[in-house]
Formats: sequence, structure tokens, C-alpha cells
Amino acid sequence: MLGSTLAILGVLIAIFAGFAVKDVLLAKRKGTRYTFRNCLVSYGMMLPAVALAFIFVLLPIIYSLGYAFTDFYLLKPNNIKFNGFENFENIIESIRMKGDMYNAIRNTSVFVVGVVPLQIGMALGLALFVNRSKKAVGIFKVCYFAPVVISLTITSYLWLQILSPSEFGLLNSVLKLFGAEPKDFLRDPDTAMLWIVVISAWQGCGYQMLIFLSGLTNIRKELYEAAALDGATAWKQFLHITCPGLRSTFLFIVITVFVGACRVMIQPMLMTGYQSHTVTLSYYMYVQGYSYRWVGYSSAVALLMTIVIGSITLLQRRLLREKD
Amino acid sequence: MKKFLKTVSVVAMASLLAFGSACGPTDDSSTDKDGNTIVKIMFHVDEKSAEGQAYKKRIDAFNTAYKDQKIKASASYVARTAGAADYEQKLTGMQNEGSLPDIITFDAPNCASYANSDLIYDISDIVPQDVQNDFLSLNKYNGKLYGLPIQESSAGFYYNKNLFRDAQIDVSGYTVDNPWTFDQFKEVCQKLKDKSITAVDMRLDATKDETATYLLYPFIYAAGGEFLSADGYTATGYFDSAETKNGFQFLKDLVTSGYTSYAIGATDFFDGKVGMYLSSGWTIPDLDNKYPEKFPNRDSWGLLPYPKGVESASATGSWSFAITNNHHEDKTKIKELLLWLVTPESSKGITDATGMIPARKSVETNYGAGSPESVLLSQLAKTGRERPVTVGYPQFSNNFRQVIYEMKDADVATVLGQKAAVLQSELNKLKK
Amino acid sequence: MENVVIQNRQNSEAEVLRKQAQRRKTILNVVYYLSGTLLAVVFLFPLVYMLATSTKSESAYASDAGTLMMFLPDFNNLSAAAENYKKVFVSYGVWQYAINSIVYAGVIIVLNIIVNGLAGYVMAKFDFPGKGFFSFIILFLIVVPVETSIIPLYSIVKVLLGMKGTISVLAVILPATISIFNIFLFIQFFEGIPKEYEEAARIDGAGNLRIFFSMILPLSKPIVATVATFCFIGAWNDYLWPTMVLPYAEEGAWPLYPIQSALTSIQSIQGITTGEFMASLVVTSIPIFIVYVVAQKYIVQGFGSAGLKM
Repeated sequence: MLGSTLAILGVLIAIFAGFAVKDVLLAKRKGTRYTFRNCLVSYGMMLPAVALAFIFVLLPIIYSLGYAFTDFYLLKPNNIKFNGFENFENIIESIRMKGDMYNAIRNTSVFVVGVVPLQIGMALGLALFVNRSKKAVGIFKVCYFAPVVISLTITSYLWLQILSPSEFGLLNSVLKLFGAEPKDFLRDPDTAMLWIVVISAWQGCGYQMLIFLSGLTNIRKELYEAAALDGATAWKQFLHITCPGLRSTFLFIVITVFVGACRVMIQPMLMTGYQSHTVTLSYYMYVQGYSYRWVGYSSAVALLMTIVIGSITLLQRRLLREKD
Repeated sequence: MKKFLKTVSVVAMASLLAFGSACGPTDDSSTDKDGNTIVKIMFHVDEKSAEGQAYKKRIDAFNTAYKDQKIKASASYVARTAGAADYEQKLTGMQNEGSLPDIITFDAPNCASYANSDLIYDISDIVPQDVQNDFLSLNKYNGKLYGLPIQESSAGFYYNKNLFRDAQIDVSGYTVDNPWTFDQFKEVCQKLKDKSITAVDMRLDATKDETATYLLYPFIYAAGGEFLSADGYTATGYFDSAETKNGFQFLKDLVTSGYTSYAIGATDFFDGKVGMYLSSGWTIPDLDNKYPEKFPNRDSWGLLPYPKGVESASATGSWSFAITNNHHEDKTKIKELLLWLVTPESSKGITDATGMIPARKSVETNYGAGSPESVLLSQLAKTGRERPVTVGYPQFSNNFRQVIYEMKDADVATVLGQKAAVLQSELNKLKK
Repeated sequence: MENVVIQNRQNSEAEVLRKQAQRRKTILNVVYYLSGTLLAVVFLFPLVYMLATSTKSESAYASDAGTLMMFLPDFNNLSAAAENYKKVFVSYGVWQYAINSIVYAGVIIVLNIIVNGLAGYVMAKFDFPGKGFFSFIILFLIVVPVETSIIPLYSIVKVLLGMKGTISVLAVILPATISIFNIFLFIQFFEGIPKEYEEAARIDGAGNLRIFFSMILPLSKPIVATVATFCFIGAWNDYLWPTMVLPYAEEGAWPLYPIQSALTSIQSIQGITTGEFMASLVVTSIPIFIVYVVAQKYIVQGFGSAGLKM
């Protein structure tokens, strides 16, 4: 592993040197003047960040890319062999036989399709709701944002208790007042993922609310005043002033929520454990790589995920940008 | 701001340093400054638990006995706050970082997987034959010995005698030699249900860890089913056979008949709300000591063996000791500690604390006839069946638990067929 | 006369209209605050439930189910609350894990600000050969969502760097000290600081590090505070990674697990009551809420300042 790391480091340094040499050669034409001292100081101050970023950010990405084509088994770290596209064949096999890879794709899709509109819709609604100068609005903001700061661990366990299948669980005890039998919400394949969607949106939307809010405050007040003078209704104002004004905020939020949603893992892990109807792609990757010890296979899944998420993100960027 | 940052950083760095030194230096040297050879051992239990205390006593006794031979055992225990699944993954990590202690404890079904990955050491020649013969069971893989059981465990149905009396149910005739059948089991459940009592807690909800596998796999064997081929690499044809299906179907029928459910509270049996409770021997000390209101003495509860289907089967398997394949090439001194920990004396000391069955035949046990312990012991001797031996044990257990989980709302045969195929593809990967 | 009457009528009509508008406004206000409160209930009820349940014995928990008492502490039996919290702190040793979490979070915050701040400073204020390379990497890592599982990181930390035993603490801290996004935030903020400040300091003979620590950082208080707040929340709430890399405590030694890792296993302790478990959740969330209340301003600020220019 040390050898390959040094090789990667060498390649990166070579690329960097290329950039540097080009800069020095073009310095005269551009009119920049580099002093030796300045360069030394710059590199020196960059060094901690560059070193840490190399080891803990770039290396995992590069290794994950490389491992995807090997049979790396966690218990045999000194015996790694390239096996071509075998991992990818296994992925296809698992999808074909409707194994856990298939379930993971399905559940992750359900989650993404559910949580992205729900969370963004809730966030936008809340942002519009608190975006006015009334008394006590600050308190509302604090309340809506509160779930964001608690950890996924606590959220999961707390909701596990609320959705507890026993008759004393919060929801079941309330439903009992209406004469309903206790239900096992998280075990039911039809509702489990939906509950995880609701819980995640409940926890996360306060964050996007604040981002929307900062987007809203950036829209100039005069626009609304002018529109009001022209007799535009609140709905028209929203459609023609608020929406265009929020476009770049919206793009940012759609992409971050989408990417975050694709990575969902802790909630199903703590709330249901590894089950077909709640396993997600990240969770599947974790179990394959850590519990089953197939780092190679797990990396192949990661690579596919990067490609898919990356291209969908680019597409979103395109679609939302085009109208500018 | 600057001052603030400075203060914070100084405090943070200082505490980090203090922190590091408090935890003690980690050194791999196997001798201490007095020239003692240090043998490191790791236990899967909390130091303060009854079982942890028993280990600690044995370690202390070892250190006294081997003072002259300059061998010193140094133990680490899992924090109270760590589960068994976590322990397994930690072992994997330790092998990766090369920090395995000399002796570890491990859950028996992982034997094949660990042996196959060279995590544990072949002790066939280290352990004398007469000692090997004295064990009720041994952890073998490919004919070689890799682990010595700490103690044996078995499980059964704890039942609330008061509830049974109220419902006028007599189960005194059901013993290991004269077991109750699947049908008789259902009859008892029905009588309890007639009294509007939840008949039995089958622990169907314990699917997040090994518990569900450990407690429920005997039902499949009892129904005549199998899980894997003998070499542990084939699931199709075994995991989805008609007999295996019958076993799972029996469990599902208990739910559909209303005898049990997937949502029984963890303490319901102990609160006297449930008639029977499927659990391992570790519940014996709990019932003896922890619930004086409902279970003041052994006249208020008893233990029944696993019911018989086509054949008899009961749960076995417990944690074992193994020597690891770490960088200490010389195993002679490590061997001393291993053998010390499994002497009849140690075995008795540990099982007295845990309420489990000694792993060695020569340990005298004086369990009264019909006592819960004697039921477990005779189950072990007569009907115990091991979980499948396979390199892909984590994969097997995961799929087993998924079947338990998913069959609630689905056709058993469909679920089994599907999981068998998934398991097979996982095993195929391992075979290469 | 008629005029006066009309005038009066007009006056009273205006009065009525004004009153109507007033009333409408009041009604709207009432509706607004009612729905606002209702929404607040939706967002807070689980937390209130957690707090209330943490004070209850198992029997009180069961008997309160299905009533409004679920959201109120058990005032009749305060000893149950004391019992629950005592058990969490003493028997389950949560205080040790809490201290661990605070230490980890503190170190991560300081290092994160220094490391990423320095990088941001250089990228914003200096010109050096090869700068384009770094700009490219930063932009790439921010724009392209790279999905690496934590498994490769795990193998790097364990196999390549060989972090084991107590040293594993570094495996918790170091990866958390680098954040490309924070570098990005710092660059954006530092670019807004006028060059004249720096030049003045330089004329006074201040070195680069000195300028950074005693001028740039203090001038960037909002962004520093924002980064610190989010660092704390992230570090305190991290669960999976520390659980994976940290070893178990040696006999008699201080445990290394942070509080979130401890929580998962507290949940699986045999015979733990609902009240006790909720108490451990409360204990785990209290520090984060203190930080939230204190640093609330910076959280909001953080969104206003930068980061949206993608």
C-alpha cells in the first residue's frame, strides 16, 4: 500500500509541477512577479491542508477507484489481486436476481424521490412563513431549526421509541384512543421507507429553511413594492419575483439535498437494521465492505454511485441553469 | 478573538496530551521491565459484569501461579457499551492494523471464517489429546482445531409456572428424553391464548444481532431442514428445501395463530404478561435474582426443552478461546495461559458466575433432576445441533434474520427462495 | 346640513372600513401565530416527549401512554428521574464519553480553523506558481459529489498509517480537520478583506503568520464562529467513524469512545428501561442545544455570508 501511495503522490506532484512551471513561464507575459520568499511562505502555509487533504480526501477517492477492480478482502490486506470487471458483474448479478443491491437501489430511489420534494417544499414553506418582520418570528425560527442540530443517532432512537410497535409507543398509544390496533410501522415494507422519509425531512428541513431565508432577504424589497403598486396579487408576486429571485438558492438546495439523500444510511441502520425493505446503497456498501469484508466489491458500488450521482447532479445543474 | 482562540487551543492541546498519557502508551513489546513475558488477552464482556469478574479472577490466579515462570497475563475487556457484532468487526480491524492480542474470545460460528483468513492459529498440536477429549465440543475447521469453548450454552423455553397453573396446563411430562412435539407446543399456546395471555415470546424481533439466529435455527433442524451443504459453500437446495420451509412456516404459524408476535416488550415476560420466553441459559441468573416480585423462587418458573418436530434439535454454541496469528511467533508461553483458562477449575469458576454449562466433561455438576440447568445440560448432550460451519457465516446469519423479518408479511417459500439465491451468490464470491 | 350628514356618513364608513381592516389584521395575526405555534409543536413534540419520558419509571411510562401526560414530566415521583439520570451517569459511565466528545470536538474545531483558514488565506491573498492546480482541485471536490465509502478511508488509516491503540484518536481527529468546503468559505470571506489592512500591517513589520492570527482571523469573526459552530455540531454528532476506528478500553484505562458511539450500545444493554434510555439521549443532546442557543446567531449568519455561489 505504501508503494502505490508514493506512486500516486508522485503523479500528483508531477501534475502540480506542470502547472507551476507553466505559471512561471507565463509570468512575464501576464505581468505577475513571483518572489522566492513569497512562494516559500505560501507553500508552507498551505502544507498542513494539502497534506491532510491528500491523505484523507484524495487518497480514499483514488483508492476506492482502484479497489473497485480488485478482490480486496478486508481480512487479507496483503493479498490484493486485480480481477477486472468481476465486481461489476456481481453487481449486475445481484440486481438481476433482485438481491440486496436491487433492494438498495429501490429503497434509495424511494427515499430520494420522497425526501427531496418533501424536504425542499417544507423548507420553502417555512422560509416564506417566517420571512416577515413580526414579533416572535425569531422564536419560530429557533423551534423549526432545533431538530437539525441533534444527531442522527438521537433522532433515530427517539423516533424508534415514538413508532414503537408496543401499545405504549407514542403513536400507537394515540391511535389506540381511536380504537386502532398497535401497528409495527417500521417493519411494514410499504410504510417503513416512508417513515424514514418523513423523519429525515422533519429533521433536515430547518437547515434549508435558513438557506432559503438568506436567499429571500437578498431579493430587493423595491421589486415587491413596485409590483404591489401595479396591483399584482401575492401569488403573482411569488411567481414572478420570489421564484426567479430564488433560482440560484434553489439550485444549490436541490443539489445538496439530492446528494445528501443519496447517502442516507444511519437512519435505516439504527431503526430497522439490515433489512431488504430499508437497506440503502450506502448501508449496503458499508455491510459489504465492513461486515462481509469485501472492500473491492464495496468500492465498485461506490464508483457506480459516484457516476450516477455525478451525472444526475450535472443534469440538474443544466436544467436549472439554462433559464438564466 | 485571538485570545479566545489561543486559550481554546492551549486547553484543547493540553487535554489531548493528558488524554493520551492517561490512556497509557501502547507498546507491542512482549516483555515488561521486570523481564516478565506479557501475554495479552481480550474478552468480549464488560469487566464489571459477573462474567468479566470471573475472568478477572482466573487471570489474577494465573499471574500468581506463573510468577516464577515470569509470565504475566494482561487482559482487556470490552467496554460495557459495546455489542457483540461490534466486537467481531473490531477483531477484523485489529488484524488489519496488526494489533491482535495473543488470545481472544470469539463466537463459535465465526471459527471457519477466522480460520480461513488466518486470524486464528491452528492449535491441534498445542492442546494435548486428553484435554481435547474432555471437551463437550471443539471448534474445528477442515479437521484442524482452532478454538476451545469457554463454556457451553443452550436455550429453551422459560415458563411462568403461576400462569400455567391458572390455565391448568401440565407440562411436567415434557423432558429432553420425552420431548413435546410441535403440535403439543401449539396446544399449550392455545390454552394460554384462551386465557387471553400472550403465549410465547419467540424473540422474533431480535433480528438486529445474532440473537434471533441463535435462538431460532434449531426449529429448522427440528423440522428436518438444512441450511447449507457440508462444505458450507452451497445454499440452494438446502436453504430453500421443503423441510426448511416447514420449519420457518411453523414459526410463522405461531404468529398467525396469535400465539406470539413481532412486538412483544423486552420485559413483558418478566412482568408476568407472557407465558413462555425463548432464551439462553443466561436468563437463569436473571430470573433467580432480578425479579423478586413475579419470580421470587424457582417454584414460580421453569425451563422446557425445544419441541420436537420430525427430529429433535436444540441450540448450542458459545464463545471460545483462540490463539491469534499475531506477530508473536513463539506460542509456548501463550499456550500456558490458554490451557490455564480451560482447566476444570477455571471452567467451574466461570460457569458458576454465568449460569452456563461447563465446557469440560470432567467438571462435576450437581444439578437437581428437572432443574433448568439439567435440562440445558441434557439438551446439549442429546439434541444439540451446531449452526452451519461456513466461511460466509456473517452472510448466512444476515440472510437467516432477513427471512425471519420478512416472512411476517410474505409467503415463506418465496422469501426463502429469494434469500437462498442471494446467499448462494455471496458464497460463490467467497469460494474463489 | 345634508353635507354634514354625508360627511358624517363618510366618516363613519371610513371608520367601519378601518375597523374592518383592523379586525382583519388581528384575525390574520391570530391565524399566523396559531399556525406558527402549531408548526413549532410539530417540530418540538419528539424532543419534549424525550425530556418528559426521561423522568419516568417504566410503570409511569406505561400508564401515561395515550394521555397528554406523555409530554409532561412525572412530578409525583421525582426520585424516578434522579434514579434514571444517576444510572446513566454512574452505572453506564456516560460522563466519561461526554468528556471524550468535548475533547475531540474542541481539538477538531481549533485545528480545522487553523488548517483550513491558512489554506484559505493563501489562496485568497497570495499568488504563487501552481495555484491553478489547487483551485482546480478545490472546485472539483466541491462541485462533483464523490461518493467514497468510508471503507477505503478505513483501510488507509489502519493499513497504510497503522493507527492503532491510543493513536487511533488521531484517526478520529485528523480526517475531521480538513474540510474543502471550509477552505472555500474562508477564501470567499478573505477575498472581501481590503488589501490595505494587510499592507499596513506588513509595513509595521508583521510576519505572515502574525498577520493571519492577529488580523485576518479577528476580522473574520463571523465566518470563524460559523465554521466553529458547524465543526462542533459535526464532531459531537459523529457516530459511525469513531465507532469503527477506536479500540476498546484496556483494563482500568479511560475509554476512548465518544458519546454517540456509546449511545448505540447503551440501547442494547439488557433490561434498560425506556426512561433510562431517554435520559441518556437527553444527556447526549444537552451540550448541542447549549451550543445551538449560544451560537444561533452565527448559524444564521453562516448562510448569509457565502457558499451559495455555485
